Amino acid sequence: MTFWSANRIRPVENEYGKLVGELHARRKKNLAMGGAEKIDKQHQRGKLTVRERIGLLFDQGTFVELGLLAHQQPVRGGESDPDGTPADGVVTGHGDVDGRQVWVIAYDFTVMAGSMGAVGEQFKAARVRELALRYRKPIVWLLDSAGARIQEAAGSTFAGSGWLFADQVVGARLVKAATGEDVTDHEMGGSQVHCYESGVGDNEVADDVECIAMVRRFLSYLPSSNTEQPPLVVTGDPPDRLVDGLDKIVPVNPRSAYDVRKVVKAVFDQESWFELKPTWAKNIVVGFARAGGQSVGVVANQPMQKGGALDSDAADKAARFIRMCDAFNIPLVYLMDVPGFMVGSQVEKEGIIRHGAKMLYATSEATVPKVTVIMRKAYGAGYYVMNGKGYQPDTIVAWPFAEISVMGPEGAVNIIFNKQVEAAEDPTATRAQLIETIRAQITPYLAAGWAMIDDVIDPVETRRVIIKGIEQARDKKIDRPWRKHGNIPV
Amino acid sequence: MTEVKAELVGSVWKVKTQVGAQVAEEDELLILESMKMEIPVTAPRAGTVKEVRVKEGEVVKEGQVLVVLE
Repeated sequence: MTFWSANRIRPVENEYGKLVGELHARRKKNLAMGGAEKIDKQHQRGKLTVRERIGLLFDQGTFVELGLLAHQQPVRGGESDPDGTPADGVVTGHGDVDGRQVWVIAYDFTVMAGSMGAVGEQFKAARVRELALRYRKPIVWLLDSAGARIQEAAGSTFAGSGWLFADQVVGARLVKAATGEDVTDHEMGGSQVHCYESGVGDNEVADDVECIAMVRRFLSYLPSSNTEQPPLVVTGDPPDRLVDGLDKIVPVNPRSAYDVRKVVKAVFDQESWFELKPTWAKNIVVGFARAGGQSVGVVANQPMQKGGALDSDAADKAARFIRMCDAFNIPLVYLMDVPGFMVGSQVEKEGIIRHGAKMLYATSEATVPKVTVIMRKAYGAGYYVMNGKGYQPDTIVAWPFAEISVMGPEGAVNIIFNKQVEAAEDPTATRAQLIETIRAQITPYLAAGWAMIDDVIDPVETRRVIIKGIEQARDKKIDRPWRKHGNIPV
Repeated sequence: MTEVKAELVGSVWKVKTQVGAQVAEEDELLILESMKMEIPVTAPRAGTVKEVRVKEGEVVKEGQVLVVLE
């Protein structure tokens, strides 16, 4: 094991000193990575070196390195370059993030472009995976790599080598060889594609410093493993604080849009909002927040985008987030204002039912505490996937202007009373009258009158109700009948 | 030149700009109606309205160009 401060021992001029001196010389050489020239190039690209990144990732002085003295080995009679491959191009070990142990596998682009070799993968990365699993700790992978060292992987023994291709992004040259398509590397794996179009990336960051700060922040909401509860943080925001300003954020008219992120920021602990995938499927908002110091996962409809209607991408985004929260014991809070799933020929061709089912599956399977707040619209299947009553919320409440219905009053009149409206002397007036009649039937007081929802609340009480709802469900334990596995509607 | 497109299928509820108008980023150009919501379409950047390609009441498709800015 190697600590950062390893160079302080002074060599002595005897046999003992020489032997220890050799160790320090080897350490020094490998700590220097691919050498000054390559490091300069890395900096010129606006990137930090792998060791600078690790310095930012871990609490000061906590990094313990394993495998510093490793280097490339000859594979199947091939050549190797021990001197030119310090640490075999990957730095591995563990350190503390906010005092909790976290493991790291970080590629060194200054050594053979961070390519993944046999020693680095089969021994170093594998060692980290083994130990992190043994201790149930998270692993952070800092990828800055050209990919697999093909010369160490090519050949039919590739059959035994799943380790090498586990986490690869396909490059442009490989695409050209496979399909003939001309693409740039950026089109294949750039943040523009993955954070805005494909939804593969969670968050886009400007540089390494921002990235690593975000990794640290992300980890702060999660337990070290699924066997633990997420850490409680003292945020200083009183749990019983009344929420100011919602009357200025949320229009009572259900046809008007607003930015639901303003509601999230007002309700949860100050400065605690951490949004995931903010630039993709923007009609649903997901992310972590803290409620009285407790980590929660927030799923909120976004009326600013597509009216808050759910489509395939939104359902995928929500489903994945809900399952992450459920996997790591993070309670879920649904803030509902949804006009339903998108309708039309295009979304049917996309298989919106298949995608919507993922969100429904995730919500129904989640056994963490689940709190639902119906802010305004709760229409149709949107009400179900946003953790409506049928999906076993631990607490479900509505604001006074909530509308709970299979569809909006306008749509309902068009379908149910179409003939009556057409036959009327004054169709416009009749239609308006019928709409008002239906609107009166979808108020939250009807649902509250049947005790189908737990309460109607003043929006200022929302924070308190959410925190109490999660507390109420603290000892929740759901045992389901044994089954081999569910059939997730992928 | 920037084409402002419809983000979803809907009908044009109100046109709130006209050819030649100077707009700032985030200004409302028109309002679509879809999924029981009035959905504002805003200028992605400041500029001058060069074309308004739709009329009130018209049904638009996802991705259809509504307004052209320059």
